[in-house]
Amino acid sequence: MAKKAYEKAIKTRYTGKPLKLYDEKKAWVVRWPRALEHHHTYGLLTPFFKGLTQGRLMATRCVNPKCPQQSTWLPPRADCPDCYERMKWVRVPAKGKIYTYTLVDYAGVGIEMKTPYWQIDVEIKGVDTIFKGFLAEGKPYIGMPVKAVFRTKNPTHTILDVWWTPDE
Amino acid sequence: MITFGKGNLRVPKWSKRVFMVAGGCTPFRKYFPEYKLEELVMMAYKMMLEENQLKLSPLEIKDSIQFAVYGEFADHFQDQLLCEAKIHDYLGLDPLFNVGIKTGGATGGSAVLMGAQAIASGYANCCLVAGWERMDEVDTRTGNFYISTAACKDFETRMGRIYSSYYAPMANRFAQIYNLSDEVRAKIAVKNRHYATMNPNAQQPGEHTIEEVLESRMSAYPLRFLECCAMTAGSAAVLLCDEEMAYKLSDHPVELFIAGGSHTLRVADRRPMDIPLLPNEKPGQYDAFLKENPRWPGFESFLAARFAAYLAYRMAGVKDPLEELDLVELHDAFTISDVQTYGDIGLRPYGQEIDYVESGDCYHGGKCPANLSGGLLGTMHAVGATGIWQAVECLWQLQSRYDYFHGDAKWWKRAGKKKPRSWKSLQVKDPRQALWVSHAGVGSHVTVGILRKAW
Ligand SMILES: [Zn+2]
Repeated sequence: MAKKAYEKAIKTRYTGKPLKLYDEKKAWVVRWPRALEHHHTYGLLTPFFKGLTQGRLMATRCVNPKCPQQSTWLPPRADCPDCYERMKWVRVPAKGKIYTYTLVDYAGVGIEMKTPYWQIDVEIKGVDTIFKGFLAEGKPYIGMPVKAVFRTKNPTHTILDVWWTPDE
Repeated sequence: MITFGKGNLRVPKWSKRVFMVAGGCTPFRKYFPEYKLEELVMMAYKMMLEENQLKLSPLEIKDSIQFAVYGEFADHFQDQLLCEAKIHDYLGLDPLFNVGIKTGGATGGSAVLMGAQAIASGYANCCLVAGWERMDEVDTRTGNFYISTAACKDFETRMGRIYSSYYAPMANRFAQIYNLSDEVRAKIAVKNRHYATMNPNAQQPGEHTIEEVLESRMSAYPLRFLECCAMTAGSAAVLLCDEEMAYKLSDHPVELFIAGGSHTLRVADRRPMDIPLLPNEKPGQYDAFLKENPRWPGFESFLAARFAAYLAYRMAGVKDPLEELDLVELHDAFTISDVQTYGDIGLRPYGQEIDYVESGDCYHGGKCPANLSGGLLGTMHAVGATGIWQAVECLWQLQSRYDYFHGDAKWWKRAGKKKPRSWKSLQVKDPRQALWVSHAGVGSHVTVGILRKAW
C-alpha cells in the first residue's frame, strides 16, 4: 500500500514568484501583487438588475397598510426598514429631474467611463429616494428633465446598464 | 416625514465620569517606508506615555491599563486581518482584552466612544484607545478605489470610484440652495493648510491663496485637489481613565462626553425628516426653512452629525455651542463637509453656515476657531487614527500645551523637518471646552465629542 503524505519524509521546493524590490533607500519595500475575483450576489435585488437589461426601472414599494411610511425605494431594497415587511416590485417612470450633479474629472482605478463625465442624481416622481447615475450627453443643471436609457444589448450586469440623457 | 421614537432620543448617561489624560501621535506622511505599521503605533503610544506630564512612569501606566480599543478603517489598506492582535502584542499588552472598531472615517471617534463606555461601565479604569492607517501600500488611484468601496458597491462605487465624486453633488446642491460660493470653500482650504504649517506632523502644509485653490486640478466639480484631504500613513493614541485614576495620573485631566449618530450609506436614500433641535434652538425656528427645503437633511446636511450633537450637548450640559466652545476640530475631509457640519452642530442655524466663515468666528482669535491643528486638509487623514488625533489636538489645547507639541524643536526634528521661521503659536487663550467631530462616509456615522477642562 502506498504511503500517505503524512507518513513520508518530504523534500520541499519553492514554487512561488519572487517579490521585486520597489524601494530600498530607507527600508526594503517589496512589490506585493494582489489579483482577486469575488462572486457577488444581487440576492433579492436581482429583478432590478435584470430589469435594466430588459429596459425597465424597477423599484420596491412597501404596501403594508400598517406601515407608517409606505415608501418607494430606488435603489430598491427588499425589506421595509419602517415596518420590516417584504416590499413589492413596481415599475417606475424612466424619467425624472436632476436633483444635483458633479463632473467626475479624476476617478479611481478601474473606472469604466471615459473621464471627464457628468455624474447625476435623479429625482423621480413617486419615488421617495434619489437615484444616482450618469448623464451620457449634454450638460446638467439642477431641475433638468432627463430620461433613462438602458443597455439591453451586451449588458454589463452592473448599475451601468442604465444611464440618462436630456429630455427637453 | 420620518420621526423618531421617544426611546431613541434618550440622552446617554455615563455610570461613571470619564476623563482623557494623555495623547500621542506620529508624524503624518503620504509614504512612510521607514517604519512598519506596529512601529508607527508604538511611536504614538510611547509619546502618549512619556510626553503628557503624567505622574506615573510609562511602565507603571502600562501596568495600569485593563482594556484597549483599536481603530482601523480598512483591511484593504493594511492587507492584514486581525491587525489588532499584532499591534496589541507589539505594545506588550497581552493578555488584556482588546477590540477593533470600524466605522469608516468616524472610526477614531467611535473607538474613543467605545473606550469611554468601558470606563463609564467600570469594565476598566484605565483604557488605551489607539488608531492607525497605512494607505501607502497602494498607489493613489488604487487607494481612491478602495475608499470608494465605502460607497454602496452595487449602486454608487462604479459611478466614480473616488470619494470626492460623492461629496461634490452635495457641494453643488449646497451652493444652489444656500448661495455658497467657490471662494468661501477655498477660504477653508487656505485656512486649514495655513494652520498646518505650524504643525510639525502635517502632511500637506502650505501657504495658498484662494486663487491657487480654485486653479488647482479638478477632482470632481466643484471640488479641487486643494479642497480634498490626502491619503496618510500614521497613528494616534489617547488614554482614558475614571475619575480616581485620572487625578492619580494627571494634574490636568479633561472630562469626556461623546455620542454618535448614523444615517444611510447612500445619501440618496435620505428621506425627509424632523430636525432634532439643539438646546439653543426653539421649536418652530425652522418652519420657514423647511418650507423652502422640505427634504431636510437632503444632500445639504448630515442627520448623523445633528443627532450626535443633539445627544452630546445634552450629556455635557452645553446650552449654547458657539458661546461655550472655545475651539472645534471638524472633519474637513473636503471643504464642503466642513461647511455642511456648521449647521449640524449649531455653530450657526441651518441656512446660515457660510456666516461662520465670513464672520471670522472660525479663525484663530475668532469666537470659536476650527481646525487649528491643520485638520484633515492640512495635516492628516490616516483614517483609523483621525478621530483620535483630533481629540489629542483638542486635549493639548485645553492643557495649554499647543506650543510644546507644535513649537518644540524636537518634534520638528522627529518629523525630519525644519521649524519654519514664520511659525507662530495657535494656542487658544485659557480654553475651557473643545469639541471634535469624527465623520464617516457621506455622513453614515458621526461622533461628536466634548472635552472639558477638569482641574
Ligand atoms: Zn413598511
